Amino acid sequence: MEYVSPEGLRLDGRRFNEMRQIVAEIGVVSKADGSAVFEMGNTKVIAAVYGPREIQNKSQQLKHDRALVLCEYSMAQFSTGDRRRQKQDRRTTELSLVIRQTMEACILTELMPHSQIDIFLQVLQADGGTRSACINAATLALADAGIPMRDLAVSCSAGYLNSTPLLDLNYVEDSAGGADVTVGILPKTDKMDAKLPMETFETVFALASEGCKAIAERIREVLEENTKQLEYRRAA
Amino acid sequence: MVGISVGEQHFLKGGIAQDLRTDGRKRLTYRPISVETGVIPQANGSARVKIGGTDVIASVKAEIGRPSSLQPDKGKVSVFIDCSPTAEPTFGGRGGEELSSELALALQRCLLGGKSGAGAGINLSSLLIKEGKICWDLYIDGLVISSDGNLLDALGAAMKAALTNTAIPKVKVSAEVADDEQPEIDISDEEYQQFDTSSVPVIVTLTKVGAHYIVDATAEEESQMSSAVSISVNRVGHICGFTKRGGSGMDPSVILDMISVAKHMSETLMNKLDSEISAAEACEDDES
Amino acid sequence: MLQSKVFNKKTRGGRIQKQVREVYLRDDIYCGAFACKSCDTSAARLSSPKIIVLDTNVVLHQIDLLENQAIDNVVVLSVVLDEVKNRNRSVYNRIRALCSNPAKQFYVFSNHVHKDTYVQAMERESANDHNDRAIRVATLWYQKHLGGTSQVLLVTNDRENKRKATEEGISAETIEAYVKSIGQPDLLDLLAQPTAEDITMEDADDSRPSKRKLVYLEHKPMSEITAGLHRGIYHQGKLRVNRFNPFEAYVGSESIGEEIIIYGRSNMNRAFDGDIVAIELLPRDQWQEEKALSIAEEDEDEDDTVHLAPNSADDAPRISSLAQETSGDKNAVPARPSGRVVGVIRRNWHSYCGSLEPMSLPAGSGGTAHALFVSKDRRIPKIRINTRQLQNLLNMRIVVAVDSWDRQSRYPSGHYVRPIGKIGDRETETEVVLIENDVDYSPFSSQVLACLPPLPWSVSSEDVSNPVRQDLRHLLVFSVDPPGCKDIDDALHCTSLPNGNFEVGVHIADVTNFVHPGTPLDDEASKRGTSVYLVDRRIDMLPKPLTEDICSLRADVERLAFSVIWEMSPEAEIISTRFTKSIIKSSAALSYVEAQARMDDSRLTDTVTTDLRNMNTLAKIMRQRRIDRGALTLASAEVKFQIDTETHDPLDIGMYQIREANQMVEEFMLAANVSVAEQILNQFSSCSLLRRHPTPTREMLEPLLRTAAAIGLTLDVSSSKALADSLDRAVGEDPYFNKLIRILATRCMTQAVYFCSGDLTPPEYHHYGLAAPLYTHFTSPIRRYADVFVHRLLAASLGIYKLPTVFQDRPQLTSVADNLNYRHRNAQMASRASVELHTLIYFRNRPTDAEARVVKIRSNGFIVFVPKYGIEGPVYLTAKGEKGAGDWYVDEEKQKIVKMDGSLSYSVLQTVKIHMEVVEPQPNRPKLQLTLL
Repeated sequence: MEYVSPEGLRLDGRRFNEMRQIVAEIGVVSKADGSAVFEMGNTKVIAAVYGPREIQNKSQQLKHDRALVLCEYSMAQFSTGDRRRQKQDRRTTELSLVIRQTMEACILTELMPHSQIDIFLQVLQADGGTRSACINAATLALADAGIPMRDLAVSCSAGYLNSTPLLDLNYVEDSAGGADVTVGILPKTDKMDAKLPMETFETVFALASEGCKAIAERIREVLEENTKQLEYRRAA
Repeated sequence: MVGISVGEQHFLKGGIAQDLRTDGRKRLTYRPISVETGVIPQANGSARVKIGGTDVIASVKAEIGRPSSLQPDKGKVSVFIDCSPTAEPTFGGRGGEELSSELALALQRCLLGGKSGAGAGINLSSLLIKEGKICWDLYIDGLVISSDGNLLDALGAAMKAALTNTAIPKVKVSAEVADDEQPEIDISDEEYQQFDTSSVPVIVTLTKVGAHYIVDATAEEESQMSSAVSISVNRVGHICGFTKRGGSGMDPSVILDMISVAKHMSETLMNKLDSEISAAEACEDDES
Repeated sequence: MLQSKVFNKKTRGGRIQKQVREVYLRDDIYCGAFACKSCDTSAARLSSPKIIVLDTNVVLHQIDLLENQAIDNVVVLSVVLDEVKNRNRSVYNRIRALCSNPAKQFYVFSNHVHKDTYVQAMERESANDHNDRAIRVATLWYQKHLGGTSQVLLVTNDRENKRKATEEGISAETIEAYVKSIGQPDLLDLLAQPTAEDITMEDADDSRPSKRKLVYLEHKPMSEITAGLHRGIYHQGKLRVNRFNPFEAYVGSESIGEEIIIYGRSNMNRAFDGDIVAIELLPRDQWQEEKALSIAEEDEDEDDTVHLAPNSADDAPRISSLAQETSGDKNAVPARPSGRVVGVIRRNWHSYCGSLEPMSLPAGSGGTAHALFVSKDRRIPKIRINTRQLQNLLNMRIVVAVDSWDRQSRYPSGHYVRPIGKIGDRETETEVVLIENDVDYSPFSSQVLACLPPLPWSVSSEDVSNPVRQDLRHLLVFSVDPPGCKDIDDALHCTSLPNGNFEVGVHIADVTNFVHPGTPLDDEASKRGTSVYLVDRRIDMLPKPLTEDICSLRADVERLAFSVIWEMSPEAEIISTRFTKSIIKSSAALSYVEAQARMDDSRLTDTVTTDLRNMNTLAKIMRQRRIDRGALTLASAEVKFQIDTETHDPLDIGMYQIREANQMVEEFMLAANVSVAEQILNQFSSCSLLRRHPTPTREMLEPLLRTAAAIGLTLDVSSSKALADSLDRAVGEDPYFNKLIRILATRCMTQAVYFCSGDLTPPEYHHYGLAAPLYTHFTSPIRRYADVFVHRLLAASLGIYKLPTVFQDRPQLTSVADNLNYRHRNAQMASRASVELHTLIYFRNRPTDAEARVVKIRSNGFIVFVPKYGIEGPVYLTAKGEKGAGDWYVDEEKQKIVKMDGSLSYSVLQTVKIHMEVVEPQPNRPKLQLTLL
């Protein structure tokens, strides 16, 4: 299969170092303390943050000196090409864990002892890169909830197909069985599905990191815009 | 759920009694409704409906299936609901399942008619491809993203909009085959089939709080309800489904009264919804 | 700018899925014309003010013409490329090659993502119409974009598309009209024959009778075929035409699990060898009609030619079940189901070498003549072509491509592509052999040559100081090869150790030091797969400087090597094995004859000779042990030519003599290959490249057993050991008898093949012929790409290099192995064809008498094998065409043909005297004829 044409164009018309279109919006779930929707092309994720609030289930609390961060990832039945019959499977459990660890490392949990922060991620459409989209959406939602963070955790994937490193794989590219790296910047999370020699890994990793920087910039813009809106509304 | 103080409860109930609800509405006034269609491109049809702080998505996916032996001349439709924990943390894990199945059941009653398929909102015969062999199975999935009361009405409206938005590819059954074999089908990418959704009913839920009943209750108001009646009414004013929820009993005369109010409300809602849907469809066409 | 593409897809499971794909439209796709003022011209290709845009059908059908240098300044649209890719992979590769060829001005315009030429699908528009519209939109864009600076022409053979284009203000032409406008009438021969839906130039052109008879059954429509496959009434598979009988083909079908025979051209229903076809089974009572069909149906006579004796089952004619049936009882159920083709799923048409059937020149030259082309490959039917240069082509070998085959014609239609040379000319015929076997004999490209190290090359100080490289220059290393060998890839050493053991080393040219993965040089070598040895020339896998100099382990020069070094006990037990990259300096490049002479000359006591003798002693023990384990001593009739250095014509043919020295070298190479196989598999269990030899089935050994039974010999074929033992026992009165039996056994077996270890389970790795559980190829990296691959694996297993990325990609690895097998097989066939060609040239002026052995009895004679010349061919007892075979009858059981009156009989393996002479029954078609003396 040819994923990159000799003219350097990918199946969807992008070049190797181009991301899909990003749409980000804050405050989509009225009742949540913070929420956001994050789209990368056809991948669309909603994140809602509840908290910091009282710990609901005391048995889950392991450390008293910091906030408990919980994360639940779910995919809508219509999010994939085939309807999903099963709500929870190993992959969603694993993803929940990865995202939770990433966000936990980013939140200043020590400022909020005896409290709990819930992050809920709902995938509306999956077209590759859901892991990254979730992390980005969660960051926006946390910021919306006013939860103190060390930095903006952002994530982007990159892969290696037809001997070319490719930024932000879509579903077709993701299913090609090549290696792919999801990089989260700030607390590092990266995960790989196929073997990659070290030198190639480095270029793929660097590409994903570049993608992260671009996303971080976009997220900052969205947040600034949101803050301006708030300021404007208060003034009014 | 929603925890409110005794003082707030009194304020809320008192407001309803005086026909001035906490958000300034009258008892029979809806919150603003917005409809967006085609939100899930991968589905055959989809819509997102927001009523106040309630936000739901409905999608329609069509799959090739086999008609049931009891109804060889009809396709099948099923309804599933999923309550996302984004809407309510208690929906996390399996927490939303009870509510989900309750909503799904109520929607099935309202939209799909009886077991025989009679009285269904969409013509099940139009889903048939080859009698006894192949038909379309429609899966209608509802997802609650944000919940601030009146989920059933919102989901009902979203499903109506999603069905209107639905287009399924036309299929041809290739070459005749022996009776006991499954025929092959070919799809045509260029031609689509749409459904007539004019007879799909709308759902009006009347929530009884104290001595009065209100439409489009918020989550706060629902926490104070004694019972609720959901009535689905189609365009010609016929009642297609009826569901009562909540613990306390009701006098039959009250119910009859509620039905006539609901019937009246349904006309307004139906018109409002139709115009929203056609506006949304036009908007989607513009984009593509 | 963002667009969505929505389409529905039917999945394998019969489900329908809606697919949504994004399309990002761009403003940085340039037009590729140098003259353009607004575009970036750094990647421009189009220099002429006359630009042509091609429609898909033109690319698909006229690729031979497009490859001609007269066609240039072409815009190839990405939608066209996509469609071509889906329709015909080989045409796609050719058009892609044209686009990347710097000598051609073919520019790929990615119209599908260009913001102005993107075309959204319209409702009720078929995919085909949509593509046509996209092509017109793009052409129109070019016209407007380039304005007055250039003239843009759409070349299409689709009538509808041409009409619409003209309506929309686009200048459009058919390919015929375009070619005519260039003013090179010869190019018209290259045009593919128009098919029914295309525009025909001159409709009255057809001189054939207007009342055309339907010759073949209609092909079923694709939907019906898929439905049929689904329901199990049709079966899909690749059609393989019998190399020795073009009226018989086989389809291996997964759904049936065994091969289905297709008898006769009408059952083959226009399918070519290699086509993927759908077939249906014939009713059981029609399963045995081979004879009736193949004789009755065709006017082309099936002619047995004299050919080289086969070396393996792959070269030998397929055994048909006919013999079994006639010998067994008549009630036996026929063994093989037979069927007929109902549709062709994917064509395997390419171009073919051959010549025109002799015919008289039509009156008035210069006009178009219809001629029949006869392919050299007998599996291919005759092809009808039109030509304007009949006179020039009649005595030529030419290349012809197939265009179509409709139901009314007995033969497919095609078009002339290019000439090769005069028939019978050695150069021409050799080229035919190469083309026929898909051997790339073009000179290496400049990109490939650029990868070579600068000459003169010598071992550098970095090589010496490289820690992974061991300096073995002090060792007494020498090579033993055939005389005149220039690509020496192996050398040996053997020294006695103080503890009485021996250190034996096999040193292999370190090719991977020069051929790095991912370079054009590596890609080229990987594509070629192997060097090809013809009688008068060698087609190298690697460029000559590497093959003959830099890598070749020549005497008295320092060379880089990859060494396998064992410590062996005097009983030839391997005590330890180590692998290392090394530097060696060979002290002698011996020929087999020289090495043998040294060993045999008891007066010589120099170190080289002593080492040779020690090695020979070890090798004999190793060989015996291998034979005890069940390795087969197989035999083949290899012949050797003596070639005139001036004319390159063969001067003499003789049997190739195998000496102890050959066996000695072979033994150590086998041992090295086995050691390497163990090492790499140990490290890379799922991505090693190994070589296996499948155990022959009883059915494959049937002809051997039948022949043996006829002369009262019983062979035990239950295992390779049993077979080896019974072959050892098969000794007749004459010394050649045992060899003959071994030759017959060898030709029953298939050849060993390369495979990727991850694709099979360990028991399947077995090498039957060598009785080795593991085997690979390591010792000839100069001439085999498999060995290059294995060198990389070995180096990676030692931590010298990292494993190249291709090893992580299992499907690609499998395709590399498949390609190697294909190339290997082709190389062998090319060698054989070259020998056959030279045999014919040799006998042209030398009618000869020789002794031959009967190897197979036929109803009208028998097949003889001539050991001295390694050839095999038919001897007829009854004249051809004379159907009265009544004089002779065949005794199947005894494998004997007996004259009715009992006065004469010939039985299998009997020695006969024959006369060999080249005859020319038709002009320019010489063939070797064998007659009984």
